[in-house]
Amino acid sequence: MKIVVIFDQGLSGLGGKSNLDLPLTIQKGSVGTGLILSQHLNKVNAEIIATLSCGVNTFNNDKENTVLKLCAMVKKINPDFVLVGPCFDFKDYALMSAMTCKLLKEKSIAKAVSMMSIENKAVIDEYAKEIDIIKMPKKGGTGLNDSLADLCEYIETLNNQDKLDELKKRICY
Amino acid sequence: MFEKLEKLLTPVANSLSKNKILIAIRDGFMITVPITIVASIFLLLANFPIEGWSTFIAGFFGEGWEQHLARVTRVGFNTIALLGALGIGYAYSREEGIDNKIAGGVVAMVCFLIISPQAHPTFVNEGGSSFRGFSLTHLGTAGMFLSMLTAIISVKIFGWALKKNLVIKLPDGVPPMVMDSFASLIPAAFAILFFFVVNIIFSNTSYEYAHNFIYQVLQAPLTGLGQLSIFEVIYQFLSTLFWFFGINGPAVTNTIFGPIHKALTLENLNNFEAGKPMLNIFTAGFSDFFCNFGGGGSTLGLVIMMSTIGKSSRIKTLGRLSLPAGIFGINEPIIFGLPVVLNPIMAVPFILTPVVNTILATVATYIGFIPITSGIQLPWTMPIVFSGFLVTGTIRGAILQIFLLAVNMAIYYPFLRILDNKYLEDEKNAVSEKDEIDDLSFDDLSLD
Repeated sequence: MKIVVIFDQGLSGLGGKSNLDLPLTIQKGSVGTGLILSQHLNKVNAEIIATLSCGVNTFNNDKENTVLKLCAMVKKINPDFVLVGPCFDFKDYALMSAMTCKLLKEKSIAKAVSMMSIENKAVIDEYAKEIDIIKMPKKGGTGLNDSLADLCEYIETLNNQDKLDELKKRICY
Repeated sequence: MFEKLEKLLTPVANSLSKNKILIAIRDGFMITVPITIVASIFLLLANFPIEGWSTFIAGFFGEGWEQHLARVTRVGFNTIALLGALGIGYAYSREEGIDNKIAGGVVAMVCFLIISPQAHPTFVNEGGSSFRGFSLTHLGTAGMFLSMLTAIISVKIFGWALKKNLVIKLPDGVPPMVMDSFASLIPAAFAILFFFVVNIIFSNTSYEYAHNFIYQVLQAPLTGLGQLSIFEVIYQFLSTLFWFFGINGPAVTNTIFGPIHKALTLENLNNFEAGKPMLNIFTAGFSDFFCNFGGGGSTLGLVIMMSTIGKSSRIKTLGRLSLPAGIFGINEPIIFGLPVVLNPIMAVPFILTPVVNTILATVATYIGFIPITSGIQLPWTMPIVFSGFLVTGTIRGAILQIFLLAVNMAIYYPFLRILDNKYLEDEKNAVSEKDEIDDLSFDDLSLD
């Protein structure tokens, strides 16, 4: 399974708060936090083929257009699945994730999932009915590995709608 | 092995970091940190570690200028238990879901004052009258553990009475401030009554005051534990071990180690101020600036190497972007960006480096290369060399930090090489295996 992940500047290893203005960037394969994800994704024969990154200031300056560009790029790459996360408790990244997943779904571009911690309550309340958001801990919280295992189970179950609905009750908001 | 270890650590982290009492103590003392840092700066100005400083400044302000600064220092350090009671009372009220949190804090502070000695028959002035009032000794470091207990118990009673609805209800239309104030009256009375009785009980024992009892049976043994060399090693080891699994290590370990560190630090400060010998090696300054500098895992050396000798563009770019923050002790960009968390290649140096630093810095203190740190609390973001000089008062503190930085680089080096080579290979493969993704760019993207 070919996966595209969308990160903020910190997760993609392109600097934390020192690079908030990172423009939309595409890198081949897996970078930054992708290394942790790949350890899990390999188990379900999923491979990160490209990583899209966006600084949170870039997103905040023009939310709609940024999300549109991210979705347009996903459409060009045409992966089997898109992961926009893990967003931890990062507020701006969580909103970017939810908006991107929603547009990908609305335009039927690709199957996508978001991951964030309960601290992003406002985003979860607004989007959880429309898109799938997998539960995960905040930065520094317990259970990161478990939530990544949940992500793998989600990917494995993608083609079995009944099972997926059952799984979502347990692992999604 | 990692899975088993994680299964073992997660419940520990959960129970410690979700325990309301421990969180309240940790966060309550956190409220006092800005005050102790400001007080430290005043203390530092009064005792700046340069020869001739005192005489030089006296040339401007006259002899005894230090005494003015000492007023601030004394309030900052010698009322730490009182401020702690307020902070912990406030934080525990929050944890217990009490709406009027500041009322909980004030009740805790009042209860602490109730069981503190108010008369000192042995302090007699020339006229033969003994001193009546609160002594800084009891409101400061020596009262820290009692203030924790008092704050927790008093707020527990306060919250219990509120939940039982043992409150005075005023008619609707009374302003909320007045309503809140009266609602706290009976719960506060219960808490005060309890400590009134506790004080009477202690006054009939050989301890005379709860202060003496708690200091002897709890605080002295716990700080004694903190004086053991293994204390700091365990603290540093556990803090980074938790971080490796993505769990904020210090947030977990400080629930247990934080109050002991604080007591050790302030004991040194009190002795420093009084000109007495300092006894505790493991102060907050020692921990922040010798054991674990540049962020969790003492990663400053790693970041410097990433930015200078990294070969893959990924490592080099991340190193250069992370270095400015790394100098100020922040390593967030590499925690998830390199990544360090859950990355088996980085596990060994990440966990080992702070432990090695702790052992080396402890040995350096024992053999007298650096003096015992004065307990001056500096912001943990202060860059090394400056921090080493200021917490020890000698240039040797800075030299030791540079030596430790070199050791840290040596520990991280082979592991960085493995990771760098892996990324370099990925980058080479990416270039040789051309596909359509190589041609994609956001610049020529159409939004149809």
